[in-house]
Amino acid sequence: MKSSHVIYQLSQHQRWRVGVKAVRSLGKLIILLISITTFMFFALRMAGDPIIVLAGENASVELIEEIKKQYGFDRPLIVQYILYISNIFRLDFGESLSTGQPALSYVLSQLPATLLLAALGMAVTLAISIPAGAWLGMKPDAWGRRVMAGAVFFMQGLPGFVTALLLIQVFVVQLMWFPSLGYSQVKAWILPSISLASFLAPKLIRMISANVSEAMREEYIRTARSVGAPGWSLLWREAVPNAILGAVALIGTQFAFLFAGAVIIEVLFLWPGIGLLLFRSAQVLDFPVLQATAFIIAILVFSVNAMTNMAFEFLDPRMRRAAP
Amino acid sequence: MSDKNSSSARYFKRWTESDISVELITGVILFSILIALILFRGYFQTHDPYVGDLMERFSPMGQNGHLLGTDNLGRDLWSRLLEGMMWSISAASMATLIAFVMGAFVGLLAAQYGGWIRTILNQVVDMALAFPNLIIAIIVVAVIGRGFWPLTLTLGLVSWPIFARVIYAESLSLLERDYVIASHTFGAGTWSILSGHILPGLRPTLSVMLAFHFADMLVAESALSFLGLGAPLGVPTWGNLLQQSRDFLFVAPWLMAVPAAGIIYAVFTANLIGDGFSALARRRGRRIDI
Repeated sequence: MKSSHVIYQLSQHQRWRVGVKAVRSLGKLIILLISITTFMFFALRMAGDPIIVLAGENASVELIEEIKKQYGFDRPLIVQYILYISNIFRLDFGESLSTGQPALSYVLSQLPATLLLAALGMAVTLAISIPAGAWLGMKPDAWGRRVMAGAVFFMQGLPGFVTALLLIQVFVVQLMWFPSLGYSQVKAWILPSISLASFLAPKLIRMISANVSEAMREEYIRTARSVGAPGWSLLWREAVPNAILGAVALIGTQFAFLFAGAVIIEVLFLWPGIGLLLFRSAQVLDFPVLQATAFIIAILVFSVNAMTNMAFEFLDPRMRRAAP
Repeated sequence: MSDKNSSSARYFKRWTESDISVELITGVILFSILIALILFRGYFQTHDPYVGDLMERFSPMGQNGHLLGTDNLGRDLWSRLLEGMMWSISAASMATLIAFVMGAFVGLLAAQYGGWIRTILNQVVDMALAFPNLIIAIIVVAVIGRGFWPLTLTLGLVSWPIFARVIYAESLSLLERDYVIASHTFGAGTWSILSGHILPGLRPTLSVMLAFHFADMLVAESALSFLGLGAPLGVPTWGNLLQQSRDFLFVAPWLMAVPAAGIIYAVFTANLIGDGFSALARRRGRRIDI
């Protein structure tokens, strides 16, 4: 039953396919970015006077004149739209209304913190979900595991930010075990990543345990067991890897979600990432920064999704062999 | 002892032998309680949710006749919870409905008509699925302003593609079933096939999706309100209640615990119903993956 691991090499045809796919997804990314900016263009028009939104409430007359010229507000809507899009594709998002920095570099400077939080959240999620899912899926009908499965189901209903609030209430306010703010201390990383994981893990646990219990009923496992293979090796070497493979799509979705969904967690823990920046800019309606943030997050989410698709194809031998 | 053939015994037998799961029944009962509380909130509210008595500010739970305590202005939290519940639940339902109608329209259109319509619609859905929904919603609401319609429309407009995708895929396979082809041969029109065969065939999937989507929208609504970008300031929606509680974490922890419990209750209920429906479909031999 031992599978030999051959280092896999792409044939020329497959390399060609990968190239085509890369070009195609790049095209998709560009269309996605255009549609997001278009969406925001119209949201800006719906808000009333876009000049006030773009320049801020108490802008100087010169600034207003400059913005009028930059976006061509005196010209027809279609010209305004083209100017708007072309500004963005020169990566010119304008300057932040609150700090005066170029919006894009301002957003990029906050990116590392968000990436760190996403990596932490995902690491904790996986560290909880894989063993828990394997344990629950091994004997899903055992009494104790049923109770645990019920608890996991309940956890699934807890929104991440509510969990975060409860954690803050208990561990920061009442017990004072953790500092709640910032990310300079490693100790302060714990609660944000647990909050994120508490939201993501239940779904993943349920999926992995369903996959594991399904795999343990497969015939090849039964056969292997009947010829005397030990149960734990079947679980960890056959069933669990299969179960994780089946959950790759979900893991990818969750990873993409981390970038977008971490906004509230960042706000609650004052984590200086993109999410906190987005929140602060939304409060003062710092439109250039908002736009640059949406742009960056769209690119992040899109690349995670693309990578998930590729990982999916590469990890599943059936999909590899399907290619001629 | 009751006669075995009495109508109530038969009814009970039907209940216990049907496929309906405990989850579904529990979920529906819990949800009915929620709806009853909303509809008859006037009877359950013990105080005016908007008027407080400063002498009774920060009363803990159960004191001075306040079931769940009072806030910083002495307003009764139980009455405010019920008041906000209506707002939160109706915003989430409305957003779900908008997303469903848009998704169903696009999905059915793409499934029914082939050719360039399908190609274009599929590309649009593909694109829309890649939207970072919450981010766009935050920005749009920030720009347009708070309020019921801005919030629900935005949430609906950013979350419909998942409906379109699932409805498209499912109805594509339904359209190739023998009974649909047969009714087409007998001259049934497009509309009658869609409404008579496709939509009923989609029901198991849709009931699961709607329940889960409702839970998602509820969380999104309270999250946006919590960020100060959803409901109008004065309305005590659950998100707003949580938002206000942040300033009094030390003095009045119940201000946070109560709306949090409300959100958890509602989301849990919706998840129960969704899971119940999907168990129901599974027992009838269909697997629903969402």
